[in-house]
Amino acid sequence: MIYKNKKMLLVFLVPAFAFMAVFLHYPFLRNIVNSFQEISGLAGTSKGWQDPWYANYQTMLQDKNVWISLKNTLILMGMTLVFQVGIALVLAILVDQIRVGAKLFRVVYFFPIVISATALGLMFNLIFLYDKGMVNQLLERLGYAGKLIDWKSGSFALFTMFLPVIWQYVGFYFVILVTGLNNIPVDLYEVAEVDGASRWQRIRCITLPLLHNVLCTCAVLAVTGALKVFDLPWVMFPKGMPTNTTWLTGTYMYYHSSETRNTDYGCALAVLIVLLGIVAARVVNALFREKDY
Amino acid sequence: MKDLTERESSFQTRPGTGTAVTQSQQEGGSIMKKRIAVLTAGVLACSMLGAVPAMAEGVELNVTTTFAGEDGNAQNFKDAVAEWEEATGNTVNDASATSDEEFKNRVLMDFQTGADPDVLFFFNGADASPFIEEGKVVSIDTIRETYPEYASNMNDDLITPSIVDGVKYAVPVNGFWEAMFCNTEVLEAAGVEVPGADYTWEAFLEDCQKISDAGYTPIAAALGNIPHYWWEFAIFNHNSPETHLTIPESVDDERGQAWVAGLEDIKALYEAGYFPENTLSATDDETFAMFTEGKAAFLIDGSWKVGGIAGAYQSDPEDPSTLDTEKLDKITVTYVPGMGDRKATDLIGGLSMGYYISTAAWEDEAKREAAVSFVEYMTSDEQVAKFAQHTASALKAAPEVDESAFNSLQVKAMEMMSGVTSLTGAVQDIFNGECRVSTFDGMPQIVTGEVAATDAVTEGLEVYHAQ
Repeated sequence: MIYKNKKMLLVFLVPAFAFMAVFLHYPFLRNIVNSFQEISGLAGTSKGWQDPWYANYQTMLQDKNVWISLKNTLILMGMTLVFQVGIALVLAILVDQIRVGAKLFRVVYFFPIVISATALGLMFNLIFLYDKGMVNQLLERLGYAGKLIDWKSGSFALFTMFLPVIWQYVGFYFVILVTGLNNIPVDLYEVAEVDGASRWQRIRCITLPLLHNVLCTCAVLAVTGALKVFDLPWVMFPKGMPTNTTWLTGTYMYYHSSETRNTDYGCALAVLIVLLGIVAARVVNALFREKDY
Repeated sequence: MKDLTERESSFQTRPGTGTAVTQSQQEGGSIMKKRIAVLTAGVLACSMLGAVPAMAEGVELNVTTTFAGEDGNAQNFKDAVAEWEEATGNTVNDASATSDEEFKNRVLMDFQTGADPDVLFFFNGADASPFIEEGKVVSIDTIRETYPEYASNMNDDLITPSIVDGVKYAVPVNGFWEAMFCNTEVLEAAGVEVPGADYTWEAFLEDCQKISDAGYTPIAAALGNIPHYWWEFAIFNHNSPETHLTIPESVDDERGQAWVAGLEDIKALYEAGYFPENTLSATDDETFAMFTEGKAAFLIDGSWKVGGIAGAYQSDPEDPSTLDTEKLDKITVTYVPGMGDRKATDLIGGLSMGYYISTAAWEDEAKREAAVSFVEYMTSDEQVAKFAQHTASALKAAPEVDESAFNSLQVKAMEMMSGVTSLTGAVQDIFNGECRVSTFDGMPQIVTGEVAATDAVTEGLEVYHAQ
């Protein structure tokens, strides 16, 4: 309604749409077509259609690693929801309670976001190194006399992989939640305080209900973001190491697209990721429906 | 252009002279400012259109090699590039990287997407087939039609032809070998003698047990990351130099059974606990560090690791004078334990890489001469002698090597090479791509018994024969 001449809107909208069409929509449609063809190597030319044309999807159903990657990705989604958003919420509420040093905490918690995931992966590799890694050295100092712990072995691998992924993005949700907390009128807390509400009661009855919509946004972002996690796990656990236990949908798709030159299968896995993303986003949207106040 | 530059600079210095400015001077100054603006705009426009060849100092070549990272020739390559740049006035955009699957894929992708390198130092086996099939590189014979002296210092019989069309494309520099490095400090502590030319598999198993009993790790290898060397030699042990390069038709034939037996040997070593405890989850760097730090005794690797090991003992990786020679002296290199028709002195090696000139550079008048000059410089007798050191070369007349410039491990490598009875190419250079997945990436599943070696070989061969 601001502009009487709607042509101006088109001037701004068309380039953005064209950009999306060229760099997102067309590649995505092309990716679907490629998943039915035989392509060896990234940017390789198609050798024709698969026989049968849905062969990659058939293989996918029988591929144990696909199921492992789906299971791990779903676990990661759950963990990001509980721990990333959960820890961020606790930290945001705590920082909101203090008067001095709040800015410092905001910077400190947000800092991991600006570090490259690859660098973080290398750093956590050193932390969890088997021979003289930081954690094993600490255990030795604390008097642990048993055999060195291989933090990247089967029983610990998922924990070691998820920990840095979760840690990295806590600050992101922390900043969103702190902004949400700042939007809650101070008067409400003052009135509650006058009425004798305890600190916990104020959080339960004022903060959490008024933060509901922000939490919903964080939940959607966390769940869909978990689907895209790739670089940090790939640096720490390339090729599903050890014994194919650490695959995520993103790492498994990359492995086939780039490492084994089975690009068409990688395309089929990419389609699976998109479908999973759509389903996950719908489920999360249904579960965490925003409210009108 | 020189005049213009001088005039421009004289214009620019005028305001700084501080002399009084009259009206006529002001008018003149105004006209001059306009001229400067017009000239500047003209120069910018010309430079943007690339229409000022006189400004160009030389040709810029895009070069990709594997002389990077821990490669023993990384510094030699840097030095040689600098010398060539200085001598010719040309420049090199060096996109060299450590040789691994990612590097190979990147090169293939560059060719497929039209970002062809001008000069490429790459494998001459099956890895090069995709870009040779597409005519992306020029053959040595084609280059010789215009430059008859091209690679004339090489013995053509030693230049490996492409498996695509039997034509020779890549001019080799240095060969490679794969052998067994030993940390003698660990061997001494375990009461084990440094293995010699008659080293058998049985003796190796006994030594491994002694080393293990002494509290050390016998073999430094990351089976979940780089099982390549053990894969190659374990299979070689059930073949002979004559049969090793034959890909089995099926798992049931003699060669197929040899592959299964080789993988079973690795499984037996794993079950005996001769690999590091974290061999399935460790990276190659971690197990290599175990070897150099005196925690593991044996390391099977390539000739390029001679430089990597020396680098590990330098406080400054860029400065060879910081080498801890005492530590390096504790490392030696010897033959890989043999079995059956393969003697310990039959090693994997050869001339598996060489310099290619891309068709794109060849057809570019401006780059052709520079590309030829670069390859000729890099494959000259002088440079090949520097790069080849303890490995083979294809030179017709190899110059004398000055051993006094070598470190102790390089000298030991030369001594080891003098006793080699045969060098056979790596069968994994032919058996590459998706077919490797079941036995390379699947090695952890094989050694833990999750997947039978027979099934893994069957799967790999099926993919190979379907490719």
